[in-house]
Amino acid sequence: MAEWKTEVFENEYLAADATDVHAIVSISCSGAGAAGQSGAAAEIIIVDTSGSMSSPPTKISSVRVAAAAAIDEIADGTYFAVIAGDNAAHVVTSMTVADARSRDAAKAAVRGLDASGGTAIGSWLNAATQLFGTVEAAQRHAILLTDGKNETERDSVLQQAVQGAQGVFQCDCRGVGADWDVNELRGIASALLGTVDIIAEPEQMADDFRAVMRASRGRGVADATLRVWSPQGAEVEFVRQVAPTIEDLTDRAQQTGPLVREFPTGSWGDESRDYHVSVRVPAKQLGAEQLVARVQLVVADEVVGQGLVKAVWSDDATLTTRINPAVAHYTGQTELASAIQEGLAAKAAGDDATATLKLGRAAKLAAETGDDAATNRLKRVVDIEDPETGTVRLKAKVSKLDEMALDTASTKTTRVR
Amino acid sequence: MTDGPTDTVATGTSCHACGESVGEVDQFCESCGAPLREQEAMVAVEPLATDRSNPPPGSNVARACSCGAEIDSDGYCTACGLRAPSERDHFSEQPAPDVAFVCDRGIVHARNEDAAALGVAEHHVVLVVCDGVSNAFDSDVASLAAACAARDVLTEADGSKSSSPAAVVEHWTDLHHDAAVAAQREAAATAAGVPAGENPPSSTYVAAVIDSGVLIAAWIGDSRCYWLPDVGPALQVSVDDSWATVQVNQGTAREVAEAGPQAHAITRWLGIDSPGGAPSTTSIALDGPGWVLVCSDGLWNYCSSAPNVAALLEQHVAVIGDDPLQLAGALCQWANDQGGHDNVTVALARVSGDVAADPDLDPTPRSA
Repeated sequence: MAEWKTEVFENEYLAADATDVHAIVSISCSGAGAAGQSGAAAEIIIVDTSGSMSSPPTKISSVRVAAAAAIDEIADGTYFAVIAGDNAAHVVTSMTVADARSRDAAKAAVRGLDASGGTAIGSWLNAATQLFGTVEAAQRHAILLTDGKNETERDSVLQQAVQGAQGVFQCDCRGVGADWDVNELRGIASALLGTVDIIAEPEQMADDFRAVMRASRGRGVADATLRVWSPQGAEVEFVRQVAPTIEDLTDRAQQTGPLVREFPTGSWGDESRDYHVSVRVPAKQLGAEQLVARVQLVVADEVVGQGLVKAVWSDDATLTTRINPAVAHYTGQTELASAIQEGLAAKAAGDDATATLKLGRAAKLAAETGDDAATNRLKRVVDIEDPETGTVRLKAKVSKLDEMALDTASTKTTRVR
Repeated sequence: MTDGPTDTVATGTSCHACGESVGEVDQFCESCGAPLREQEAMVAVEPLATDRSNPPPGSNVARACSCGAEIDSDGYCTACGLRAPSERDHFSEQPAPDVAFVCDRGIVHARNEDAAALGVAEHHVVLVVCDGVSNAFDSDVASLAAACAARDVLTEADGSKSSSPAAVVEHWTDLHHDAAVAAQREAAATAAGVPAGENPPSSTYVAAVIDSGVLIAAWIGDSRCYWLPDVGPALQVSVDDSWATVQVNQGTAREVAEAGPQAHAITRWLGIDSPGGAPSTTSIALDGPGWVLVCSDGLWNYCSSAPNVAALLEQHVAVIGDDPLQLAGALCQWANDQGGHDNVTVALARVSGDVAADPDLDPTPRSA
């Protein structure tokens, strides 16, 4: 049985007339077990086989190796399928139950993959949604690899496909090379509760696929929902996952009661996720104590973890002026992600002044929050002259891959030191 | 802070309070009315069993919020989120008809860190008030533990064998030292669970014993003991261990010193970081009927000098009579009406004045 631990980090003391409460609710799971234990699991491997995958030819050859590596990670008894995508989706292996024989057959099939045609990611997702619908599985996960932008179909087709896939399966997305669109893939991964990452060199693909499939196999908790209660008169300003990556959940809320909102969180393995909850309440009299949010994690209709976010109005400035370190840290990390994304967007649009300003802000925030990984990625795009003031210069020559790596990783956060 | 996954408390099929069988989904026991999902809320109020002879508090935990909605098992309203008042916020005791206290959160503070305990023995009465220092972790726990520990030492002690006032004073002065040691030990022990970076819990202390027509008081900090005779001048028996007292001793007018920004800085306290030292003690012969009033600064902030305290009490006696519980409650309410800026505790003992005492006893405080 999975064990859950919930912790709340906040300064509950508010000054007279203060209305805004910020808290970090940290939820961790241990003993999650293996995927499929609460009903079958299903996996689909979706690989781009468009014409561009043959230049260089190491891309398509790496896909053959990586798809086979992923198939090898699928546990006996798990349903799986393989889709090759170009202008349309081609089912390479239809939904089947994994065993030695079916894995061998699928590996033989992926060895024959060739590259031709365009990129229509929406059609690939639609095919996956349809294939998942052919089996009874409690948890459904896909890995999607592309090397290009969604060019062969209208964006609305892709957006409809993403909507159709939401709630059906989770999808980890990977981009190989430097010709795919970070924003596009991040949007798909985010909507489908998955991760996004860059595979800079085709040779790294097999290791990455293995890691993704192992992580998926370790998610023994098929589905969990974040439930947030807030009192009458309160406004939930935002609910944001802030670790391990930043995901704004606010707009995904489903109102399930007058005071209750629910947010899908997908499946869980042995891991910890932090949520930043911000609630605005009318100020109360000094001395009053109010519960401003009850944050629960719900698995199979059972509350497995709960954190209470409180407000206490006080005239003691030594209490009310403290900022909780976790709240400060993740506020900084969220701003860091925005600064990186906005800076890179400005740079791409040729607005060097804004890019310098935003990436300078990012360098400062990365230093302040102790995010050395972000600092190192920034250094490949800008020369950091003074991290304390955020003074940077755009590098004259920047590799596209380094820029994409910075963008892709912008939503990854570090924990509080 | 940690809030475990404990919201859904298994209720079982019998009431934890009376043992009657209850339905699985019942919120309250059909038989005794005890809330069936408030186990956690009860834990929070459990230490309030200051008098072991009384039924444990918790029996009257609020079930409905002032807004009309239900209170959840975690003690907060299910609709407006306001915390339901806990037993710790307001509690009282009246172990004998002529002795009582009321201890109240006040208005402004979120927690009630004051505490009090009373003891009534065959020949003596004990009143203890402790004021937990706000901004220190768990001061509410420290103050209650200290008050109960001192009360136990003083109540379980035998009265003076001799009725000679000098012998009575000597007897109780020694016991006051023991009681303060016990109170300090308990207050210091509560520091064990304090997270790093938090101030350890600390508390003031005042204890009064009335035996054979003599009042013997001991204190550490700025909680006070007054003698308010029906006839004759009222006296503040204790002398605050405070910065204000230091100022007064250096010639500053009392009203000025007590209104200064440092007025509430105390120079001595109980707790693991206590500066140490035995309690100051003093004694006074109670040569007629009157009231012994022991209180925290939540009261005397609004009414400090002994004549004013006597007048305040007299006004209330004129309106509601001389039941000490009613009076203590009325004085707490009066403090709240003045703004309730601090927790407030008022303990009162009515002295009949039947026992003749030596009028020569000097009320001047002496330090041990």
